[in-house]
Amino acid sequence: MVMVIKRYKTLQSTNLKAKELAKRGAEPWTVVVAEEQKAGYGRKGTSWSSPKGGLYFSIILPKSNIEDLQTLTILAAFICAKTIKENFNLEPFIKLPNDVWIGGKKVCGILTENVIGKDVKLSVMGIGLNTNIEKFPEDLENIATSLKIELGKEVDNKKILEQIIAGLKEQLKTISE
Amino acid sequence: MKTSIKIGDKIYQIEIAETSNGLKVLVNNKEYFFTKNELGELSSVEGFKSSLKETEIISGARIEKEIKSPLAGVISAVMVKKGEEIKPGQKVVTLISMKMENEIISEGYGKIKEVKVKENQFVNSGDILIVLE
Repeated sequence: MVMVIKRYKTLQSTNLKAKELAKRGAEPWTVVVAEEQKAGYGRKGTSWSSPKGGLYFSIILPKSNIEDLQTLTILAAFICAKTIKENFNLEPFIKLPNDVWIGGKKVCGILTENVIGKDVKLSVMGIGLNTNIEKFPEDLENIATSLKIELGKEVDNKKILEQIIAGLKEQLKTISE
Repeated sequence: MKTSIKIGDKIYQIEIAETSNGLKVLVNNKEYFFTKNELGELSSVEGFKSSLKETEIISGARIEKEIKSPLAGVISAVMVKKGEEIKPGQKVVTLISMKMENEIISEGYGKIKEVKVKENQFVNSGDILIVLE
């Protein structure tokens, strides 16, 4: 599968970087991946803990109408849950519209951000998936989990990333045609 | 570049000059500015006469008197205030809709006459957010 992946060791936020690149003309489906985020955020600026080991990425989405973007955001949670379910023997639960939980704890969060004037100028979708995080700080321990914690072993971030992107591409094609 | 254009019975003296970030158009000694926004589209100064569009000097020029909400949602932040001059691409409000965060930007230059919304307010698609002078 052809996709442009820009990898960074550390970013403040992959969504911020993706928005910056999109404004400078980066192609749709460019993916920004960071090993860690210093200021990862979710809705309303709530912070998203992003230590090394997790999978943090943002995708520059093709120009779409706003309804399709809303649908895609919901479908993204489904795709992440499906990827987890199909690769590992886990039972993820989708907390609509944009979180995935395992056993009552959050494992994945999705934040779509759009810039809109007369029409949609640019859209990025950020996904934070707790993959190989060994331990969470005390304040998150009871509300967050990771695939490594659930499985007791490491997972392949690259493979998961590719599966999620492929799933999103497929779904957007379906809803926008 | 200097030229003159006749529209109806009126003759307009036009002078077009490039500025650092767009174009300055002098029409009968009145200045109008156009700037490329961050997405490469030309946006006009508010108040640009529609008749000038017919000359096709600049396509895509628009008159904006208000900024409307493109979708229903809740205003999560207001970035501008009354009296403020805004420019193309500038973020004016953020709106949360279907759990997406949407930055609403201005498409042109203008001075804010009234901010019609405040934080946490629900708006419908098409509601006026900002009125320009």
